[in-house]
Amino acid sequence: MKYLPFILRNLGRNPLRSLLTASAIALAIALVCILRTMPAGMDAFLSAIASNTRISTHNEAGMVYAMPYSYLQKVRAVPGVVAAISWQWFGGAIDPAKGVEFPNFAVDPEDFGKVYEDWKIAPQALEDFRKYRDAAIVGRATLEKHDWKVGDTVTLQSTVFPLQLSFRIVGEVPNERASQFYFQREYLIQAFAAAGAPIDSTGMIWSRIDDPERVAPAMKQIDEMFRNGEAETTSETEKSFFGNFFGSLKGIVTIILIVAGIVTLCIVFIAANTASMSVRERVGEIAILKAIGFRKKTIFTTLLAEAVVLSTVAGAAGALISLGLTSLLRSSASGGGGPQLGPLTGFIVTDAILVQAIFISFFIGILSGWLPALGASRRSVAQTLREVF
Amino acid sequence: MALPLSYSWRSLIARGTRTAFTVAVIALVVIATTLFWSLIGSLKRTLVSSGSPENLIVMRKGATNDGSSQLSLESLQAIRFFEGIARDAEGNPLISPELVVQPFFATADGGRENVLVRGVEPVALLVHDEVALVEGRMFNSSSGEAVVGRGVSRRYAGASLGSQLKFGRGTWKVVGILESGGSSFESEVWVDARELANDAKRTLPYSGFRVRVAPGTDMDALARRIDDDPRFALEATREIDYYESLSSSANTLYIIVIGLAVLAGIGAVFGATNTMYAAVQSRTSEIGTLRALGFSRASILFSFLSESVMTALFAFAVGAVGGWALGLFISWLLGGIAFGAATFTTNVIQLRVAPSDLLMPLALSVLIGVFGGLAPAARAARMRPVDALRKA
Amino acid sequence: MIDIVNVSRVYHRGADEIHALESVNLHVSKGRFVALMGPSGSGKSTLLNVLAGLDRPNSGEVIVGGRRLNDLSEDQLAEFRAHTVGFVFQFFNLIPVLSAVENVELPLLLTKLSRAERRQRAETALRVVGLTERASHLPRQLSGGEQQRVAIARAIVTDADLVVADEPTGDLDARNAEEILSLLQTLKRDFGKTVVIVTHDPRAEKWVDEVIHLDKGLLLETRPGGASGEMAASR
Repeated sequence: MKYLPFILRNLGRNPLRSLLTASAIALAIALVCILRTMPAGMDAFLSAIASNTRISTHNEAGMVYAMPYSYLQKVRAVPGVVAAISWQWFGGAIDPAKGVEFPNFAVDPEDFGKVYEDWKIAPQALEDFRKYRDAAIVGRATLEKHDWKVGDTVTLQSTVFPLQLSFRIVGEVPNERASQFYFQREYLIQAFAAAGAPIDSTGMIWSRIDDPERVAPAMKQIDEMFRNGEAETTSETEKSFFGNFFGSLKGIVTIILIVAGIVTLCIVFIAANTASMSVRERVGEIAILKAIGFRKKTIFTTLLAEAVVLSTVAGAAGALISLGLTSLLRSSASGGGGPQLGPLTGFIVTDAILVQAIFISFFIGILSGWLPALGASRRSVAQTLREVF
Repeated sequence: MALPLSYSWRSLIARGTRTAFTVAVIALVVIATTLFWSLIGSLKRTLVSSGSPENLIVMRKGATNDGSSQLSLESLQAIRFFEGIARDAEGNPLISPELVVQPFFATADGGRENVLVRGVEPVALLVHDEVALVEGRMFNSSSGEAVVGRGVSRRYAGASLGSQLKFGRGTWKVVGILESGGSSFESEVWVDARELANDAKRTLPYSGFRVRVAPGTDMDALARRIDDDPRFALEATREIDYYESLSSSANTLYIIVIGLAVLAGIGAVFGATNTMYAAVQSRTSEIGTLRALGFSRASILFSFLSESVMTALFAFAVGAVGGWALGLFISWLLGGIAFGAATFTTNVIQLRVAPSDLLMPLALSVLIGVFGGLAPAARAARMRPVDALRKA
Repeated sequence: MIDIVNVSRVYHRGADEIHALESVNLHVSKGRFVALMGPSGSGKSTLLNVLAGLDRPNSGEVIVGGRRLNDLSEDQLAEFRAHTVGFVFQFFNLIPVLSAVENVELPLLLTKLSRAERRQRAETALRVVGLTERASHLPRQLSGGEQQRVAIARAIVTDADLVVADEPTGDLDARNAEEILSLLQTLKRDFGKTVVIVTHDPRAEKWVDEVIHLDKGLLLETRPGGASGEMAASR
């Protein structure tokens, strides 16, 4: 547009004011971007890790309530179930004082690969997992965080059982966000037996269903099967399971989003004030422009464009700032907040968030500049000339 | 010659819209910062305020929280009569054996959360002297009854006084409400220990013991004695230290929230300063008049500064009240703010704005008032009166 | 060129009703240099605004360059002004963030000329007012007289037939005032433009063809100015 240089020069009239306003907008947008990573992290986590043909089965009363291990066989027999394994929480910590830093479970190795086909774990790793009693498969996030690699030996002290076990890492879960640690159930059983306390229960059962259509009926059938049994079960999809698991964070996320909203509102006010100030100063000039023959619409558009250009450029800067800050947060947030905060501390500013940020700042520009621009464009020239001269 | 304070006051009122606008901006900033800080504060208060300085918690060696520990009846009997443990009027040791289980509870809006259910014996109320039964009565053993913490009663389905609460393998009647000054016990449900062990099919009846130490006893010596007992692998810690270690799970959240609050604060200072700057700038000619009349630079500076600080403080008051009200509303709306603790159970946090939470927002307001008003007022006061007048 | 027939203009300032113009009749022929004079509040500026298409009368007709301004909408008036009228004001003439030549170019943004063509026309206009070497200067780097000359350059850059100026010499010293009035006369003499100025500077009288006196919204008298004889001589 041929008016662009004119618009830019006008922004340079009061550099301090433009700079302060732009800084406020940039920082607010950076804030909004960072805050948006939280729910976005949740969605990304769910869609990256969760499969729509995998279901979990656990004791209806709670995960700490155990189920008999014999349930696993029965679940395997349910039509539609391709493969099923059990998960037993080990609660292992590298340093008990620091607590559990990543979730770790004892699982059934034979069908592990089949249930988690979509994780694309290397076939050799799966084979070693089956072969070696003390084998472990670890998620990439945990490997990177503790600087482990395949072949290393690690020791974990359980915080729920009086056991300390050593494991040999034979493979990884090749996903940036995967933090789980899996080892053989048999290994745990042997340790228990050695301590004189046999264990015959399991915490969870995960099954792979052959067809998405069959998921609902399979879940129903499993729960029906165990109704009025030793332990009644609840089966749910993987997405639902994780959704519930992190669902309690909803409250904190809500507050954070509310605050983001307040901050944005504040910024709109501030930008509007700037726009109205800068327009008010130029009342005489604008009258001259109208006298020369510029139409109301043109005046309105160029004034509005000033606010929009300032806002959008500042917003883009803010989005970039958020990229820098989140990478800082990622490297400093210890342990990624542990298993409880999970995906909230992913802090990954996705492209979607960046695009949204630009849109938001664009709208801030429109909202803040609209009324001052409209008012200025509508002012009667003759009236202004009377007042000003 | 000094400008009277009423000049500042009257100027603010005369420019009603402009002042209202500036107040609105600063108030919004205060509300946002207050919410953030009270979130941290409420979290801290809930997690850290738990525990009595006169109690020890005894768990199995290596356990990090009493939800993951298992202890036998024998171990209880072994240490019950250790010297240093306080006694009640009849000479019974004040040691509370407890079983912790984390079953699913259904929230009022259909969600599912783990809640800490503590199986206790009547002595528990004596040992946990911060916990008080404020409504109803204590449960009777073997009656399927429960008492619930205040936070629980508000958040979960069937958890209010008199209702039937479903968890574990059965249904429990809520007969009383517990309060503990906002600490984490208000997020717990207490039932009879034996009933709970039955429900959860536990082989070992207890997870941990809470021990009230007799006045004048060396707590560390007692703890060591418990640790060193060769028959059982026990570990005793001060209750205060125990809860503090649990609260570290919130550290990451603290860092995040503080970081965000700082970011928001900086942005707000820029923006609000801009607003104040503009407000003062538009009065340059007025300043010129005052200077021409003979008021000194210092008096003008002081006058304008006090105007901007007054505005900021007023805005702070508005924002503080607004933030407090909004916090209460959010808490009510969401049934408390839930936070997953290291015990993998949910701590229900009531978002409360305590006076200490307002320190940061206050500092921010004063900062905005001073910076926003100082620079332009100083510049204007320094101008020659004739130039300032011309700038009409 | 200009026909003002029975024009009245009333406006409100707060609770007061101000009768700026009362049944004013005026005729200005093409190519004349006319001064509207009178005490403050006489309505001269209002009359100027009306004939320039900046203000609408409450009653009466305004015909400029053959067009009846009463019939035109706001946008049409804007268009009319863009093509037919050049403006010079007492203050705020120039946009402070644009250079002299960019200021002169401003009205040309409303045309379909290319960038190069616009620049060329603007430079030509600057040459006419004798400010070529100041083309890239900002207004604050120019003296009062130079600023007015840039404003005049802008007023002629679209080749408008009518140039109006409201107190063009109000803020200037004697020498600069004379220069501006001489320049305005050149516009009429060498370029055939119709020039109407509002002024209370008595010096203006000797440069113009006609002096029109107003007071309290009424047109009192019209008499020939100092230059009217000159015009007769040049015919």
